[in-house]
Amino acid sequence: MHRKSIILKCLSVVSIVVLLGGCAGMMTKPTQKNFKAPVVTLDSMEVAHAFGYWYFSKKVQPTKGKPDNVGAPLSLAFIFNVENPNDYPVKMENLKFTIAFEEFDLNTVSSTETMWIPAGKTNQVRVNAHFDVRQSLLSLLVTGGFKLKEKGTNVWAQLEKWWTEIPQYSVPVHVKGGAAVFKADGLTKVATFEATFPE
Amino acid sequence: MFAKNMWSKFIISLFIVALFVGFSSMAGAATIKVGSLNDMTGATSDVGKDYALGIAEAIHYVNDNGGINGKQIKLYQFDYGYRIPEALTKYNLFKRLKCVAILGWGTGDTEALAPTVARDKIPYISASYSGHLCKPEKTPYNLFFATDYSTQSRGLITAWFDKKWPQKPDYGKRKPRIAMCYMTASPFSSSSIKAAKEQANMLGFEIGPDQNISLFAIDTKSQILALKQFKPDVLLHTNTVMSVAATLRDSYALALGADNLIKCWGYDENLPKLAGKAAEGAIGCAPWAFFGLDVPLMDKVIEYAKKYNPGIPLEKRTIHTVQAWASALGLAEALRRADKAGDLSGEGILKNGFETMRDFEIGLGIAPVTYTATDHRSQSVAKIYEYKNGKFSLLDEVDLKKRWPDKWANEWLGW
Repeated sequence: MHRKSIILKCLSVVSIVVLLGGCAGMMTKPTQKNFKAPVVTLDSMEVAHAFGYWYFSKKVQPTKGKPDNVGAPLSLAFIFNVENPNDYPVKMENLKFTIAFEEFDLNTVSSTETMWIPAGKTNQVRVNAHFDVRQSLLSLLVTGGFKLKEKGTNVWAQLEKWWTEIPQYSVPVHVKGGAAVFKADGLTKVATFEATFPE
Repeated sequence: MFAKNMWSKFIISLFIVALFVGFSSMAGAATIKVGSLNDMTGATSDVGKDYALGIAEAIHYVNDNGGINGKQIKLYQFDYGYRIPEALTKYNLFKRLKCVAILGWGTGDTEALAPTVARDKIPYISASYSGHLCKPEKTPYNLFFATDYSTQSRGLITAWFDKKWPQKPDYGKRKPRIAMCYMTASPFSSSSIKAAKEQANMLGFEIGPDQNISLFAIDTKSQILALKQFKPDVLLHTNTVMSVAATLRDSYALALGADNLIKCWGYDENLPKLAGKAAEGAIGCAPWAFFGLDVPLMDKVIEYAKKYNPGIPLEKRTIHTVQAWASALGLAEALRRADKAGDLSGEGILKNGFETMRDFEIGLGIAPVTYTATDHRSQSVAKIYEYKNGKFSLLDEVDLKKRWPDKWANEWLGW
């Protein structure tokens, strides 16, 4: 009786091991050779929040609070499709890119929240980018002076154009130098991407 | 019965092994949290972006190579758009996240946070190199891996005096003449002017009228015309690249005929692009090697730039990436030493980490690093480059401590 029970138990263990082994064998193991970089594409860009165009210098007394050099905020959201062409899930560790209004780089943003993408599936990730007139003014003044002069415009005219026309989706916004880092079983792949919206 | 016992023992052993393996993996996942405050959107984003990319790439490199004695660094990197209130907000977040040290950025955030980091005992490694951050009794938790602005200015003037002045036709006949071009209202631009003037006086220069040049300037003709009467042999520029390029262009166009000495933030790979021919012969202080130069670890800087940011062409990467690597690798070394001593508190990282470094070689073309409990000037050597025939070449290395040991020890600390 005892012997029969032991044999049965042994057989069960062997069966479980074989079954588990079989399942493991069905999943492809990531290797440097079979690990394909996922594909990142811009699905759309949304003007998440627009507050018009305005700027107050420190000399202007506000109704409440302290005076400061402040300008209208502008929030944009970028929605990316992240497609995993592999036969195994991959983890996206971070995604970053630079945003340019026309030929001026104004912001570099990133998403560092990790995300698992199932084998053969496409996830979506939303990255928010904040701009404001004051911040972009300083960026243009310190770095863009020569370019603005060549363009035959000035910093205020340029900012007004962007802050009034981007909410109408009439000025192209560029995504540049995009890179997303993916991991699978200790291996790393970086996918690059660029885009313009509206195209 | 015996077999049943054996079977139970086997299952229990398996369970223990499984538990052990599970806990080992948890133990292996130990991390050290580090904050990084960067400007990728604001007034300094043109250089801040490259620095921020360099910080992230360098931390990947550290983690890929054993981390901090086996522990991985978890980097929390945030943009603050060069807005001081946002820097304070992010700092509070770093504290909440229990970051043991912060890789900071410019003059604005560094100055604003200096009293707070001292109170909280959190090492703050900045890319602001003001001489007054080097005196531990005033700013004990502010550190940086670079030649401070005052040492840079002293080194630039000394190198020009040694190497260029003897080649001028008037050498030996009169005093050399120098004038300073900077934004007088900017704490960043004016921080080393006092030291520069003292050095010029000490070496026997005649000092001309200061020229107030905005950091936003693209036309400096009136300032150059004002200098024509003084006929300077050399100008010292302490602004950032765009306004320095504007000054060089106007000086060249109006045939002022002076040489140009430039502090680190005005002297990078973009200067020749903006100033064109006027950049030829420009002399600058660069505490780290320019991107791509043949120095130890540059191969890794390039490898990680290609690996993690392949969408950004290498020709767009600059010295600011190398500068960021110096900050990150310097901090990593301090963390390793503190961890080895068993104390990763802020005070432990300062005392058992940074302040144990004596002539520590990071690589990347940076001079050996020394910190003591009474002196946070990490180096006394100013590395001076000259831009000639389309490339930056090392012109001189001025070791101010070696040359003026008494003044270095007793007079020049903290300004």
